[in-house]
Amino acid sequence: MRVVALILAGGAGTRLGVLSDQRAKPAVPFAGRFRVIDFTLSNCVNSGIFDVGILTQYLPRSLNEHIGIGRPWDLDRSRGGVRLLQPYQGRGHKDWYGGTADAVLQNLDYLRDRRADTVVILSGDHIYKMDYRPMLRLHEARRADLTVAVMNVRPEETDRFGIVLTDGDGRVTQFLEKPKDAPSTLANMGVYVFNVNALAERMQALAPKHPDLDFGKHVIPSMVESHAIYTFPFEGYWVDVGTVDAYWQTSMELTSGQSQLNLYDPAWVIHTRSQERPPAKLGPQGSARDSLICNGCTVRGQVSRSVLSPGVYVSPGAVVRDSIIMNDSWVGPGAVVDCCILDKDVVVGPGTTLGWGDDLSTPNQRYPDRFNTGPTIVGKGAHIPANRRIGRNVVIQSEVDEAAFSAFSETIPSGATVE
Amino acid sequence: MAVFAMILAGGEGPALSVLTAVRSEAAVPFGGKYRIIDFTLSNCVNSEIFDVAVLTQYQPRSLNDHIGVGRPWDLDRTSGGVRLLQPYQRAKGERGAWQEGTADALRFNLESLPAAADDVLILAGDHIYMMDYRPLLRFHHDCGADVTMAVRQVPAFEAHRFGMVVADPGGDVVEYEEKPRRTRSTTASMGIYVFRRAALIKALTAGSGKQQHNLGGEVIPALVRSAKVYAYPFQGYWADVGTIQAYYEANMALLGESPALDLDVHDWDWVIHTRSEERPAVRFGPESRVERAMFCDGGQVDGTVINSVISPGVRVAPGAVVRDSIVMTDAVIEAGAVVDRAIIDKRVVVGADARVGAGDSNTPNLKWPERLNTGITVVGKRAAIPPGTTIGRNVVISPYVAAKDFPGPEVVSGETVGR
Repeated sequence: MRVVALILAGGAGTRLGVLSDQRAKPAVPFAGRFRVIDFTLSNCVNSGIFDVGILTQYLPRSLNEHIGIGRPWDLDRSRGGVRLLQPYQGRGHKDWYGGTADAVLQNLDYLRDRRADTVVILSGDHIYKMDYRPMLRLHEARRADLTVAVMNVRPEETDRFGIVLTDGDGRVTQFLEKPKDAPSTLANMGVYVFNVNALAERMQALAPKHPDLDFGKHVIPSMVESHAIYTFPFEGYWVDVGTVDAYWQTSMELTSGQSQLNLYDPAWVIHTRSQERPPAKLGPQGSARDSLICNGCTVRGQVSRSVLSPGVYVSPGAVVRDSIIMNDSWVGPGAVVDCCILDKDVVVGPGTTLGWGDDLSTPNQRYPDRFNTGPTIVGKGAHIPANRRIGRNVVIQSEVDEAAFSAFSETIPSGATVE
Repeated sequence: MAVFAMILAGGEGPALSVLTAVRSEAAVPFGGKYRIIDFTLSNCVNSEIFDVAVLTQYQPRSLNDHIGVGRPWDLDRTSGGVRLLQPYQRAKGERGAWQEGTADALRFNLESLPAAADDVLILAGDHIYMMDYRPLLRFHHDCGADVTMAVRQVPAFEAHRFGMVVADPGGDVVEYEEKPRRTRSTTASMGIYVFRRAALIKALTAGSGKQQHNLGGEVIPALVRSAKVYAYPFQGYWADVGTIQAYYEANMALLGESPALDLDVHDWDWVIHTRSEERPAVRFGPESRVERAMFCDGGQVDGTVINSVISPGVRVAPGAVVRDSIVMTDAVIEAGAVVDRAIIDKRVVVGADARVGAGDSNTPNLKWPERLNTGITVVGKRAAIPPGTTIGRNVVISPYVAAKDFPGPEVVSGETVGR
């Protein structure tokens, strides 16, 4: 078995709002020092897969820089290693990736070059730890054309997933993409092991009809009757942090120490590219409770139930609660940050309260369906002036400066957007 | 002008007690996540010197692991890069090839001087400082010197620890005394030398130089009389952490509001690089209390930490107290234990309710009264302190000791446990 992994990392992640304004969803920072894609990429190398292609399309710059030549994952290899696969032009075709399977189809050459007979297709925007080896062993033992990793989801969530029905041997008999009333709670995790020849044949057969060729919508349903598709049950922790609320909740679970995601397991290290920074420093007036704090942080105020990425500075007298603050942001003296997500390089002016008021459920006026659970989100590099009160579900766009706030009084009401 | 740097890292550093029982002085952890040699090595690459040899002899294992192929410093290069030089046999069955001192070590490794090197920068692996060597090298050239040594001002009462220099206003050294009892000079050699290649070879291989073992004690005094020796003044922070008290003070000084040695990254071209393991953010638990302390990634803090330097992966259990101490990588302070004014080496376990550094008695260590007399207790690597044990001041706990090695539940001040 020659195995290559392909990670789909082209998604825009629009529901993450300003967090994915300037980067693809897999490149969104998570748990302080990681990026979302680190989990999938580390799963690959921890499972002994050292041939990995990453399919990018949407805002790949941040991802390209993060992956580089793959050093942190020991994927800077002479043979194999990591390849970033961007859409490209050739004679006779110049198309962007139309859908998940279309992206793979356009990179069939890569699989052929690597002489892969088995391909593991993964999504770059899930948080989970999984050893792919047992799944590969089972795939081989059953001589399957496709093995789909599945897990049980709550009944009310089934309309977000591909739902799978199986016979007694785990062979898939029916595949329903995002059904309304699901007959099962066994959901497709988006982790596939394909026989390369079967996959290539299917994709080539379907492509002319479907320029947006998608695994869940087209490829898998077309194989149920004709091919041997098996499930592989996965029981560990798995989350899709595709919404602001899921992202915030997942991060808060980590700070409580109650999360099932154990980041401290030396037997399954999550690798990431990190800058060399000095230890975190907690000053005489500083405190930190129920929080994750990374190297390079300086905490001279009070931090609780929060995640601080490397290089965050919390000034004396400042309070940070229930929040996620990314690299090199600065919280000024006396400022309060409550239930917020701050991207990198944000400046919170002295005395400003970010996340003010009890009306956590006032939705964002522009995106009421996306931002309605409380967190105020601040885009990369935004500068928030001093002595403002900023409500809930507010969106502050990337790179805004103090002038953008002149449209408001001292109070920026819940649900507003600053741009 | 090509420069070759030779870092003298073979010394034992006996005054560092059990910290150097298992590693050379250059490999002793410092400032939480660093090793002492990181400063010199980073100074080299930050000064754009990429051809570096590290001369080892005493307990080199830890240093070898740390430096490896030099990746963290970008010294894994095809031409140049870092080389670790060990003593070796020059003839079959040869005995007595161990190096007898700094000059002997350099002489032994003269063959490794690259043909292109015009100048040799000789550095110590056991100093803490940040220095750009380029101005020193320019000064050396401008003076047309055979040897240039970096010097700094020291208080008169410390003169007996250093090579003391008298130079004319142009920097020409007219007098040099190694560790004088009394001297009128307050200018001390820092143990940093630039040699013209030919001058170094001549000094170590011609005439009486052939028999000299010690660079500062023998070679330099002879050269001051016979060659062009210049002194280059350095103004920044510099510490020789060769004693327990100096080591402790240099660590504690990092905790100040604006420390003399500022590890914060203000300039990404001047970073102290180190090999660090991939670890998640430090997690602070619900009951944690911290004040004036440094923490590194991978730690889990549930107890109280005051005025201390904490390395990666350290666990401080609920109810445990760490005060005025240095705790190294992966050490565990169990529930209810108290560590006061102590240096805890890697992977030590301080059992529940044990006390390390107890009582007011400052009886100097009975075995090494000249090394341990300031109230600091040191616990060697991987020692396990049984639950409930009380350990006084100036105590030495040897590496790897376990419950059976302890005489009883109390170890009074000045005692030594283990070999």
